Order: sequence, then C-alpha cells, then structure tokens
Amino acid sequence: MFKKISLEPSRFALHLAVLVIITLWTLPTAGLLISSLRDKNQLAASGWWTALSSADRSQVGRMKGKADQVEKDGKFVIEGNLFEGEDAVAGKVSAFGTKVQTPGANPAGSTVELEGGQSLTVNADGTYVLSSPTAFENDRGGRVFYISSQPPRFTTENYETVLFSQGIGRSFVNSLTVTIPATIIPILIAAFAAYALAWMKLPFRGLIIAVIVGLLVVPLQMSLIPLLKLYNAAGTFMGVPSKTYLGIWLAHTGFGLPFAIYLLRSYIAGLPKDLIESAQIDGANDFKIFRRIILPLTFPALASFAIFQFLWVWNDLLVAIVFLGSGEDQLVLTGKLNALLGSRGGNWEILTASAFVTIIVPLTVFFSLQRYFVRGLLAGSVKGG
Amino acid sequence: MTSQILYAFITVILGVGGCFGYFYGSNWLLDRIFPANASNDASAVRNLKLQAMIRPWLFLGPALLLLTVYLIFPVIQTIWLSFHDKAGESFVGTANYAWAFSDAQFRQSIFNNLIWLLVVPAACTFFGLIIAVLTDRIWWGNIARSLVFLPLAISFVGASVIWKFVYDYRGEGQEQIGILNAIITYFGGDPQVWISLPFWNNFFLMVILIWIQTGFATVILGAALRGIPEDTLEAATIDGAGPFKIFYRIMVPQIMGTIIVVWTTITVLVLKVFDIVLTMTNGQWNTQVLANLMFDWMFRGGGDFGRGAAIAIVIMVAVLPIMIWNIRQANAEQGGH
Amino acid sequence: MKKNLFLGAALAAIFVATPALAELKYKPGEDSKFTWANLDELKKVDLKGETLTIFGPWRGDDETHVQVVLEYFREATGADVKYSSSENYEQQVVIDTQAGSPANISVLPQPGLIADLASKGLLSPLTDADKAWMVENYGAGQSWVDIGTSKDKDGKPQFLGFSYKTDVKSLVWYSPENFADAGYEVPKTMEELIALSDRIVADGGKPWCIGLGSGGATGWPATDWIEDIMLRTQPPDVYDKWVTNEVKFTDPAVTGALDIFGSFAKNDAYVDGGAAGVASTDFRDSPKGLFTTPPKCYMHHQASFIPSFFPEGTKMGEDADFFYFPTYASKPELGKPVLGAGTLFTITRDSKAARAFIEFLKLPLAHELWMADGGFLTPLKSANPAAYANDAARKQGDIMATASTFRFDGSDLMPGKIGAGAFWTGMVDFVGGKSSADTGAEIQKAWDAIK
Repeated sequence: MFKKISLEPSRFALHLAVLVIITLWTLPTAGLLISSLRDKNQLAASGWWTALSSADRSQVGRMKGKADQVEKDGKFVIEGNLFEGEDAVAGKVSAFGTKVQTPGANPAGSTVELEGGQSLTVNADGTYVLSSPTAFENDRGGRVFYISSQPPRFTTENYETVLFSQGIGRSFVNSLTVTIPATIIPILIAAFAAYALAWMKLPFRGLIIAVIVGLLVVPLQMSLIPLLKLYNAAGTFMGVPSKTYLGIWLAHTGFGLPFAIYLLRSYIAGLPKDLIESAQIDGANDFKIFRRIILPLTFPALASFAIFQFLWVWNDLLVAIVFLGSGEDQLVLTGKLNALLGSRGGNWEILTASAFVTIIVPLTVFFSLQRYFVRGLLAGSVKGG
Repeated sequence: MTSQILYAFITVILGVGGCFGYFYGSNWLLDRIFPANASNDASAVRNLKLQAMIRPWLFLGPALLLLTVYLIFPVIQTIWLSFHDKAGESFVGTANYAWAFSDAQFRQSIFNNLIWLLVVPAACTFFGLIIAVLTDRIWWGNIARSLVFLPLAISFVGASVIWKFVYDYRGEGQEQIGILNAIITYFGGDPQVWISLPFWNNFFLMVILIWIQTGFATVILGAALRGIPEDTLEAATIDGAGPFKIFYRIMVPQIMGTIIVVWTTITVLVLKVFDIVLTMTNGQWNTQVLANLMFDWMFRGGGDFGRGAAIAIVIMVAVLPIMIWNIRQANAEQGGH
Repeated sequence: MKKNLFLGAALAAIFVATPALAELKYKPGEDSKFTWANLDELKKVDLKGETLTIFGPWRGDDETHVQVVLEYFREATGADVKYSSSENYEQQVVIDTQAGSPANISVLPQPGLIADLASKGLLSPLTDADKAWMVENYGAGQSWVDIGTSKDKDGKPQFLGFSYKTDVKSLVWYSPENFADAGYEVPKTMEELIALSDRIVADGGKPWCIGLGSGGATGWPATDWIEDIMLRTQPPDVYDKWVTNEVKFTDPAVTGALDIFGSFAKNDAYVDGGAAGVASTDFRDSPKGLFTTPPKCYMHHQASFIPSFFPEGTKMGEDADFFYFPTYASKPELGKPVLGAGTLFTITRDSKAARAFIEFLKLPLAHELWMADGGFLTPLKSANPAAYANDAARKQGDIMATASTFRFDGSDLMPGKIGAGAFWTGMVDFVGGKSSADTGAEIQKAWDAIK
C-alpha cells in the first residue's frame, strides 16, 4: 500500500520551491508562445510581455486620398477614422502630430494649422477632419502620427500560415514514417544487446562496453559523407535508389544505438540477480528470460529512451535531408517549416508558430509514455521470489 | 494522399516487422538446430553449451553490425582524413595536428570546452536530480516534469529564437525586447550586449544548454527514482530519518548508476554541442568550441577535410578518460555472470 | 501500439490541400512584354522522359517564383524538373558532391565555393560558345565571365558558372516621406551624405541603421560597406588586386576603407543602437528602424533584396525608396562604380537536360518571367525592361546597365575561408572596438594560413 512519506513541515515549502523553479524554467517558452500569437510587425518591435497589457504606443495612420473628399461650406473636407481599416484596433488617441519626428506634438481634440491653409483635427476616438480651401490633389492621403493606448491584440494568423502551407500534411506523414521505425528498431536491437552485455557470458565484454561508450562521442557530421558515399555505392550496385526510408531508419538506429545500449545496459545490470537465476533454474533459456522477465521490467528505461529517440529523430533535419532528400515528396516536417522561412530566414513569426506546431507530437508521446514510469515495478518481485 | 499514407503504413510495418522477425527467427532457428531436449543427455548438454555460446552473438549481432557500419567505419575514415590534405588526396602526416595546436582559435576552443565540461553536466545532473526528487511527491509532479521537459522538445531552432528574445540588446534609451535587458533597465541599469561580454558570454550560452538538457536528466532520474523499492524508503522513515538524510543516504546511492549514466551522456553531449554556439554567436567573441570549429572547417568555404577531421579526432580522444572510467565501473559491478 | 494512433490521427485530422498542378502563370502569347517567340524555340528541344534535378538556395516566396520559370521549361521540353533546397545549403552541396550524389545543376551564390568545388574536379565546364555568348549579351559581360571562371583540378581556368539572377548592392534605402517631414534632400555626393548625417545628428536623430547579425554569417553586411568604399576611394584595378590578395589587407588602401566605415559604424551618434548594437542587431531587423514612429534612423545601406524585410504593406517608391550610394565629389576620376552579386548555375552532374537548361537560361523569356514577379534583376541586354515588376526594379536594372565600373561582391570572390569566414568575423571584431590595423592584420594572417 502506498504510504505517504512524511516531509512535514516542508509541504508548503516544497510546493513553493517547485513553483519557483518551474516558473523560471517556463518563462522563456511562455515568451515564445505569446510571441507566436502576436502580429508579425510587432514581434521584433517590442518585448513579448508588453503584449499582455495596453501600452501607449506611437503609431502612424494614413488619411484618405482625394477620392473621398467632399465639399462643405466652401471648403474641401476629408473625414475618416484612424482606427478604421483591416489592421487597426480601436484605441484611445492621447496626442497626435503631422511630422514623424514629433508624433505627439498636439493633444487630442485640438486643431493644428498646416501649410496652404489646411487644418487638421484629430479626436480622442480616432476620428479626424482635414480641410483645405482648395481641392486635394493626391490619390494617396497624407500620414498622421498619434500616440494611443490599445488593448493587446492577438492573432492566429501565424499558425494559419504554418498549418495551411502547401505540402505540410505530406511532410507530416513523412516525418512519422521516418520517426516511428527509427524509434522502435533501436529499442529492439539495443534491448537485446544490452541484455547480452549485462547478463550473458561474452568474451571481450568489457572492451565492447567501453567502445560503445566511446562511440557516444562520434560527431554526426563526420559520418555523413562516408555513409552517403556508401549508400550511393550500394544503391548503384543493387540498382535501387540510394535515398530511401530504410536507409534513414538504419542511419538513425546506428546513431542512436550507443546511448540506447549504454542506458539500457546500466538499467538491466541493476536488476536483481535472483530473478534471472531462479528463471534459469526453472529451465528457461536466455531468449525466454529476456522476453518474459527482463523486457517488462525494463519498461521505464525503454520508455525513457523512446521519448528521447523519438524527440531527436522528429526534430532532426540534417540527417533527413542528407539521407532522404529535400525534394517535395521526401521533405520532413522540420524541413518544410524551415522552407517557410524563405531564402534568407528572418520570419520570426513563422519560427515561433512552427516551434509549437512541431512540439505537439513529441509532447503527446511523452505524456502517453508516462504511465510506464510507474512506481514499484520491482517492489514485491524481490520478496516474493 | 491516401496512397501515401498507405504506403507509409506498409513501410513502417515492414520495417518494424522485419526487426521482430530477425530476433524471433534467429532464436527459434538456434533452438531448432541445437535442441535442448535432445535424444540423449550428452548431446543435450553439448547443445545447451553451444546455445549459450552462440546466443549472445545473436542478441548482440545486429547492434555490432550497425555500430560498425554507422559509427566505427566513419571514425576510421576520419582518422585517415586527418592525415591527409584538404581534399583528402595527398598524405601530409601530422601537419593538420601541428596546425591545430598552434592555432589560437583551437586553443581558445579547448579552454572554452573545458569550462563547458566542468559546468554543464554537473548543473544538469544536479538540477535534474533536485527537480526529480521534489516533483516525485506532489500531485502536480507530472505536469511540473513535463514543463521542465518542454525545452528538450523544442528543436534547437526554436530554442535559439527563444533565447534571442531573452538576450537581445537595443541601444540605451530604447525599448528593450530582450527580457534580460528589460529587467535590468527597469531597475535602472544599462542594457548589455550579453552575448559579447568577454568570458561571461560563455556562461550565457551554457545557460541555454542547461535549460534544455535538465529535462533529459529529470526524466531519466525520475524513472530511476520510481524504481527504488517503496519498502526501503518506508523502513528509513520508520527509523526516524528526515527528508535530507533519506535523500543522500538512500536515494542517491540507490540510483548512483543512473546518475553516472546521465552525467556521462551529458558530458559527451557537451563535447559535441555546436548548434547553440553556431546560431547565437558563431564562435565570435571568444565563444568558439571544438565542435563548431570542426563544422566550420569541414563545411565552410568548400571544406578542408583534413583539418576538420583532425579537430574531430581531438574531440573523440577527449572522451577516452570517460571510457576508461566506465569500463572500471562495469568491471567492478557484481560481475561474473 | 501508441504509435499506430498517430498514423490514424494523421489520416483523420490532418488537413491537406491537394497541391494544385502548377500551371503556366502567364498565358503564352498574351502580354507583349514577354518574348514569346522563345517558347516556340524551346519546344523544339525534346527532353521527354529525362529528369533534371536542380538544387538551389531559394525557399518560400523565392521558390514559388523559380517554379514559375521552371514550369515553362517543363511544358515546352517535357522534362521532369525537380527543384529542391535546404537550409545549411552550403553544407548540403559539399556533402552531396563529395558523396557522389549531387543534383544535375547546383545554384551557388558564391564564386568562392565554386572555386573550391572546381579545384576538386566536381564541376563540369561550360563550353566556349557559352563563354562567348555571355561576353556578347550581358552588360559588362567580361566581368560576368570572369566571376564564373575558376581553376579546375589541373589548374586550368575554366568557365563553370552561368550567372542568372543578380543583386545590386550600392544602394541606400530611406523613407521619402520621413525625409520630406524633416526637410532633408537626397545627397548626390559622399560629402553631402556625410553632411546630411551630421545634420540629422544635430537635429536630434540618428542617421544610420546598421545591422551585421546573421547567425552563422554574422558580419557580411559590413563587407559590402567596405567593398563599396574601396570602389569609391581606389581605382578599380586596386579592387581587383585586393580580391586576389595582391593588395593585402594590411595595405593602407584597405585600412583606409576600414576607417571610413568605422566613421559610420563605430560612431555612437551615427548609428541607431550605438556601436555596440551594430554587431548584435540582425540584418533583417535593422531596416525596420526606417519605418518606426519616430524613426530610429533615416538611411540604411543594403542590397536590392532587402524590401522583403520591410514591414508588410510598405509601398516601394512611396513608403520606401533608394538612392545610389554616392561617390566622392573630390574623386570624379573614379566614375560611378556599382557593386553587385548574383547566383551562378553550375553543372554538378552532366546530362543532356542540364545542358539544355543552360541554353534555356540564355533566352530573354527565362529572365522576363521572373522579372515580372519581382525581386529579380538581370544584366541580360536583350531582356525587355518593360517586364520589370515595378519602377524601382527598373531603376535598379538601369543602375546596373549604366555603371561605368561594375564589380562583383568582393567577399564572394575571395576564397571561402576568407570571404565567408575571416573577413566576416574580422568586421565583427572591428565594430566591437578593434583598430583597423589590427583587423587588417588578423584577416591577412588568416589568408596567409590558407595559401
């Protein structure tokens, strides 16, 4: 029965400590989330925390042009509202100006005289009246600068751009096709190898383990060219294309094996000896022992590795492009999202939205594998024998 | 679209199925060829012996094959390249290594890597352990852990944008869009260009990796903690031990093996880190690290494979002490089975 | 298993727009600004059943534009053209060429990279006929041939890169309305430009927005400044010698240019964000300072591609415009030099279709189709200027055509390790406070190390 281990009087302190740590940890990510919901022009102009409250901001609006003028009392008048138009959000004007250098020269509601006998009035609600003794000539209206406070404006257009871009569904399926086997296959191969290295009699066992740990450090970049050369040679030799799914599965498996074997071996070696010995006495061979006893007990470690391998392969772009290709049909999700950034990158709003779009699947995997991190898988198994 | 999904489905099933097939098939074959319950005792014993000799290699076989092809073969290739010129054509002996040790950037990278190696693995393991232990006992522990895990799930590209928005610098008197400078200016200080501050910029970059990798440590150490038998902890509490005593007398020793795995893995990862440095500073302002230097020489401006390979070998050699230590550990454990 | 759920979800939940079969954007025969006669010529080439792979640096919007052009090639010749790209573009080209699986045609934006690939024997040379054609048909044709020429494996210079899609670099961007509000005039000489900068400072503003940040390529905008200044303070042959290191980085001509750039970028009063902000501001963010209220700066020196980073809705010619980066009135003998750059098409895996594609690029139509979409300039004399999408582009094209001296971007011409390495990082150090003499010495040291 699960008995609560008493940690009094620090219960409250415990919750507080965790809360502080978690808040600090999540703050940068929260910033990214808020940024992804902001209008793209605002993104690089002001900090994300300013989007959470109304703030006084200098803005520029454009008045209507000559097409909208009417004649009133012998003068030509253009009327309108600065807060009109598809992008504008209603706010409250506190001051306005006609030169960009001085956007707040005149308080709202006042009238300012301009050259050529024109006069301009801007009110707190954004309405403006521009009048002139002679007809207006320009198609395009002049600019008005104003300081206003506006409520925060959030938009989902960044997500829409990302989710509805052409080919995204296909690249999503490509990513899954690459990632799922590239997670399952290493688990299988590594689990067997780890058991062999932990509990079976092998010559050179220590050396093999050492080499595997050493292989953890091989930088990926060094492997790319020799392996691609190998694939190309193999492909020409066997008359098949060199960039296939099988190729990338094996590549990811190869790259992920050192960590997998290392982690699993350490875990399996820590399992109680009696368990295995009693099974051997019962006449089971290693394969049966592995399938029936070891594998179920290693689920926490398998689940941990699965999470990280899935994550790594899902977020990977380099290996996918080298071994699978960057054409329309083969591009994985990360590649597609990257292409959205354009030839020179710099579309921060796309980056923010796509970061969260790609996160959904690994996060789901993480949550669904949580149930394997169950307490006490070993409890009772030792006692009962 | 449907055909693509169908094709993907079939490919996946074949791939995974093939793998299962090998293990079941080969073991079944072994049992068939050398049956354990043979006609007479002598051959049964002999068969069992043969099985015990061959089976480990069946288990280990695919792993060894893949490791050889995908990792050992490139390592040999790299060693070979490091003794040749930039195009991999003519033999130049140890010229590349001589160049490396006389290059100022290379020496700077080694120094930086040392700092990274001292700080990051320790920090990640420490924070990971603390968070794993603390969140183990509260009802919203899983949510807390997933939030710490979140940075790991965000790809490096996402992480670099996040931290760009943290470290960003705008001129004095201007609105700051980087949160660090915003906090500093709020309290009346001057905004700093964090990523170019001499020496300290390394630590600002390290913070990013710690932020990301602690999630890794938390998940693995959390799983290990769950593996500690409940009874052991109960017994300790009954004996009157307080939370801190339980922590370092019981919990830590029980999961020491896992702590070592986590610390080793992160250490090796730190030796390989280059994305962070590449996107944030590209090694400028004395933040250069070996892996980024290697990447630079391998792929920038057409590629000098000789020098890039030499740097890669240096990185790999740096991991030898860890390898040796791990062998010692492996031999020291209740071995001989 | 859990994983199968995801496949199911993919089936059910993912919205996928059936990719529209690409159609010809401009109907052949309509709109006389295009040279439709070329299309008939192209139809005579039969490449049915052939596949042509092109690896290029264009993604996003640019990719849409290049597909427009490729569609006509597909239609007319029947070839199956596959275009692909990736980030870390340069890395990918090196990997693929080394491993033996490159695309038929690789589009490279840097002659330095071409030189490296050529010296390893990975590029197929173009013909003498191609060379002669370019000298004839491109404005300042010999320059374009020169930048496409590199030494092959045996040390023999070969013409390997066919230029298509170019950028003009000697431009200063500004907001005409902001200038009008403040009463400033577009400067016609360098002396006037400096006087204007001083005047803006006196008025309480900041004249320049300069941003060098670019991730792994941080520092490259500063190299454009230096090259432009070199062309305005030294005769063109000094520039040419500088690019081949005959004139070293420690030469007073070069350090002098560095100092002039320093008088702009290291001057806290001149630059928005101060000298400290120059290296850390991203080059894609810095032009936005032209359009804030009040403006963070009034002028921005950058190439012709930068409008794609202006705030959305910025109207070219009205909200934003450019003027030619002026020359010194005291040096009239140096004329009006123009700095430019472009992408080069190289053949990394020879095939009939690849050669046919190079022929296609000689047709005015191939240029006009992208000109009409915008963001494209060409030195091809026979391309119809009416096809340019807007007046601004026409103006830029005109600058290219009437330049008395045309030079390709120097850092693109230098060996990769310098032009895409030491020169960039040297400029970042320079802006961070290093002296021009020390910076020049550092870069020269790096160049000596690779000789």
